[in-house]
Amino acid sequence: MTAEEIIKLKENALKECQAAGTMNELEAVRVRYIGRNGYLPQVMKGLKDVDPSERSEYGRIANEFKNQVSAALDYKKTELAERGTAEAKSVFDYSLPGVWRSLGTKHPISSIIEETVRIFGKLGFTVAEGPDVETAYHNFEALNTPAHHPSLDQTDTFWFETGELLRTQTSPVQIRVMESRKPPIRIITPGRCYRRDTTDATHSANFHQIEGLYVEKNVSLADLKGTLAYFAKEMMGTGVDIRFRPHFFPFTEPSVECDFTCHVCGGKGCRVCKNSGWIEIAGAGMVDPRVFKKVGYDPEEITGYAFGMGIERIAMIKYSINDIRLLYENDARFLSQFI
Amino acid sequence: MKVPVSWLKEYVDFDASPEELAKKLTFSGTEVESIQTIGGDFKGVVVGEVRSIEKHPGADNLLVCKVNSGREEVSVVCGAHNFNVGDKAPLALVGAELPNGMKIEERKVRGVISMGMLCAEDELGLSDDHSGIMLVSRNIPAGTPFSEVAGPPETVLSVEITWNRPDCLSIIGMAREVAALFRTSIKLPSVDFMERGEPVEMLADVDLQDVEGCPRYTARVLTDIKLKPSPSWMQKRLTLCGVRPINNVVDITNYVLLECGQPLHAFDYELLTDHKIIVRRGHTGEKMTTLDGIERQGLEKSVLITDPARAVALAGVMGGAGSEINDNTRNVLLESAFFHPPDIRRTSSKLGLSTESSYRFERGVDIGGVEWASRRATALMVEHADAVAAQGVIDVYPNKRPEKKIKCRFQSVKNLLGVDVADEEIVNIIKSLEFSITGCKKDHCVVGVPTFRPDIEIEADLIEEVARIHGLDKVPTIVPQARVVVDADDSVTRATIACRSNLIGLGLMEIMNYSFLSEQLLNAISSADIDSRVVLPNPVSSDYAVMRNSLIPQMVDTLGRNLAHQVDSVSLFEIGKVFLKDNNNKISEENHLCIGLMGKSGRAGLNKCKPVEREEIFLWLKGVIEALAVSQHVGNLVFKPLNCSRMDADGAVSIEMNGHVCGVMGLVKQEIRKKWRMIEPVAVAEMNMVALIQWIFTPFELHSIPVYPSVSRDVAMVVDENVRHDDILKIIKKAAPQELTGIELFDIFRSEHIGACKKSMAYSLVYRSLERTLTDEDANRYHEIIKEALRKELKAEIREGK
Repeated sequence: MTAEEIIKLKENALKECQAAGTMNELEAVRVRYIGRNGYLPQVMKGLKDVDPSERSEYGRIANEFKNQVSAALDYKKTELAERGTAEAKSVFDYSLPGVWRSLGTKHPISSIIEETVRIFGKLGFTVAEGPDVETAYHNFEALNTPAHHPSLDQTDTFWFETGELLRTQTSPVQIRVMESRKPPIRIITPGRCYRRDTTDATHSANFHQIEGLYVEKNVSLADLKGTLAYFAKEMMGTGVDIRFRPHFFPFTEPSVECDFTCHVCGGKGCRVCKNSGWIEIAGAGMVDPRVFKKVGYDPEEITGYAFGMGIERIAMIKYSINDIRLLYENDARFLSQFI
Repeated sequence: MKVPVSWLKEYVDFDASPEELAKKLTFSGTEVESIQTIGGDFKGVVVGEVRSIEKHPGADNLLVCKVNSGREEVSVVCGAHNFNVGDKAPLALVGAELPNGMKIEERKVRGVISMGMLCAEDELGLSDDHSGIMLVSRNIPAGTPFSEVAGPPETVLSVEITWNRPDCLSIIGMAREVAALFRTSIKLPSVDFMERGEPVEMLADVDLQDVEGCPRYTARVLTDIKLKPSPSWMQKRLTLCGVRPINNVVDITNYVLLECGQPLHAFDYELLTDHKIIVRRGHTGEKMTTLDGIERQGLEKSVLITDPARAVALAGVMGGAGSEINDNTRNVLLESAFFHPPDIRRTSSKLGLSTESSYRFERGVDIGGVEWASRRATALMVEHADAVAAQGVIDVYPNKRPEKKIKCRFQSVKNLLGVDVADEEIVNIIKSLEFSITGCKKDHCVVGVPTFRPDIEIEADLIEEVARIHGLDKVPTIVPQARVVVDADDSVTRATIACRSNLIGLGLMEIMNYSFLSEQLLNAISSADIDSRVVLPNPVSSDYAVMRNSLIPQMVDTLGRNLAHQVDSVSLFEIGKVFLKDNNNKISEENHLCIGLMGKSGRAGLNKCKPVEREEIFLWLKGVIEALAVSQHVGNLVFKPLNCSRMDADGAVSIEMNGHVCGVMGLVKQEIRKKWRMIEPVAVAEMNMVALIQWIFTPFELHSIPVYPSVSRDVAMVVDENVRHDDILKIIKKAAPQELTGIELFDIFRSEHIGACKKSMAYSLVYRSLERTLTDEDANRYHEIIKEALRKELKAEIREGK
């Protein structure tokens, strides 16, 4: 067989290959051209009869024949196979459940804490933490809480025989931070607190608070209002506004309670806000000069504000949880929804 | 506290609806919790006269009465028994609708027709009293509309008074607030009366021994008293405030308490030995019986009012039995005093006894108003109890303090509030609250604080007064300026948040348990830790009696409770504090992480029928910890066998991170699981958070991507069952050239063909050189060395032919 004949043969093979409409036809093409009794063995056999000077050229053409035809056959085979699959009734079931581990879930209390830390982080607040087992000094005395204040009552506070106690608020962290450094202070203090409340739908002997403290020159109640207004919108939604009501806390003067617009009804009044349009969220105020004196700050030099909120309360309002106990029962059917 | 608006209006003029008033009060610091209307037109309710009373034929505890309604006699079935024939009571006729919503209809009660209802006070919305029907004076003719008896409807505000404002625990105190809000002034009632009796010093004596506990004590004597019901207007006001009328003397002391906030006590003068009052501390072991008939003990340190023979009152808390006003009382010694708030608080909380009186004393009454209240009560007793007042008053007040004066700088007010309040406005607000201005300069004024405001001590207190009267709504909302506190460090928080995110990414659900738990639960897991437990001396209940010293007990309990809820596959974690006690009883806290796996939590896909093997769940948990350690940048993680009382002997290991033991993990013992009916294995781990967060911000070294290709070779070997993966790793690593860069176990296989107590383990080894492309021959050579080492050290049979 000459080189020209091989080239011709190749072209025919490629044409027939292209024309094949079924696997059987394609198989026939394969057998005829590159099968054991097809043209290919003859082509290869012809190599030894070729003049040595043309042998390498002949070899190249012969290889090309073999490779191109094989490739064309393979390609066509895939094509036919795919067409076949498409035409046949497929058994591929896309509707089977996906197989991958799903993500876990964050506890709603953690979500609120992390979100609060994030929001205040944008305002330059950093987190400070303190012990749960506190001294009476840090929990009460340093916070200008008179020795006979009701919260010092045996019935409200968990006391240890050592004279220490389980902190009733995260405010002692503020004292610890101020004792250890000079102004400016800009901290946020999430943490667990304890009060001897009997557990019911709205009370828990073990709960979380987050407090903020900002101490600088010339800080005013208006700064506090702006900060809490920003927090309210970030946490509850852009339509949420705040208002202040005067109140009393031993460690702030003036003291206020801060209400947020009810995010459910937008202030129109609903079941959630008991028709008032407002929900009480935070206690706040300007740090009492007597507290500054306790930590060695000069209240003539600096002023500051502090605020505190219950994490469970925010979580309950934000996620419409009607019973605080759900937050501590750790029922997977409840927690799995906080994805 | 209850504030009837009509009573308030006796002392202050204002023009506002109850709703407007409530709003003003709430936004000036006195929160109005509710506005209640008491009474109404009482349509269809008349005064009925009971003509006859018979037992109901079909019910033992019901009565059938004939009642004269003024027009006719009607038959009424009644459940109360507190009346006799001839008594008069509000009768709701058929067709009436009562304030509580009840509609009166003709109906049969157990077979007897009832044509109306005799009403109790609660049914008429007058009080909460449902102890019997309400009786009215027999002098009122039957058929009189009840509205004429009850008078016009009353509006009552329920206000919450903050702890610092004892002055507001009175109608006059509230009137002062209202006066300031409406910029008007209050009118105090008259306290004038004739002193017709003997000089009081001739009649009584006061020996004030405890000046600290009782800085001021006054006594008056009233004689020839006629006990009778107090006037109806007084009874009505008391009732509106939730106080039950008793007789004129007791009612007057209660009335004055509500009016001005000063608790008073009336003793039967004749029952005081030697007519002498001694104010002193209780002796050790001293006892007394209070008005409620309870014997009180442990009175040492409590301030007591005594006569020479015995204690006659628990000062400021409750009177004593045996010296109180009784039916035979003719002469009265009237006490008005100031007791040291902490003393009253201590006595009250120690005895668990809180009264209207102690509630006010422990917050602080007006020491300057003690004598006024005494005069006021005396004036009322002269008028309404025909009393003869002795001349003068015994007023023991040894350390009268001068008026408190505070400087108020106008600029400080503006700076602290961030509001530009005019100087005159500041002065006006202060004046409107009945503070005196004793000096006014260009930039400040000096304020005299009245004795009824013990809460005002420093300038900031005055600024608060300005703020709340001026209005907090006028405080602007300043957009916060984010300013960085340069050296503040919250890396621990950020690392913890990262750790939590990573655990969630690994598919775990976060839980949160209380910081305290029951001893029972702790013991159910282990009793080995008993010495380190921090026990709460005053727990809420035995369920929360001990501070947790490990997160594992609650984790096991949480898994068990979820299983009981048919949730059989969960992977949980908790980050929380544990509390430990050392030999010196010093309490320390550590932040821990606990992980708990139950059920098929580690299996994805459809492979869920097969029961979970012990080793399988253990390895899932180990995998979680390995992945977590990598994500928290822990360089070196090692597990070592461990004996742990809570875990299976073979399935417990310690966790070491970068050379420090930081936790344990393992399989919960079957006998523990059994308590929660957990049949399948459960894996738990607990570790100290410090180890997990301390390296996360350590900068890591970046390795360049390999230049030359790797060559991989597999080796499968048959070894004894007791050969561990760890043993094989050690041998391979020891024998391997530096070109060995990866070892992966990819199959463990057991079969009869291999033999009992044998297993086949297959590893894929990856070789790579940093300097050149390895040839097949290189790889084969390295591989042979390793195979040889395995053969030699483990007597392993290398399975060839792959």
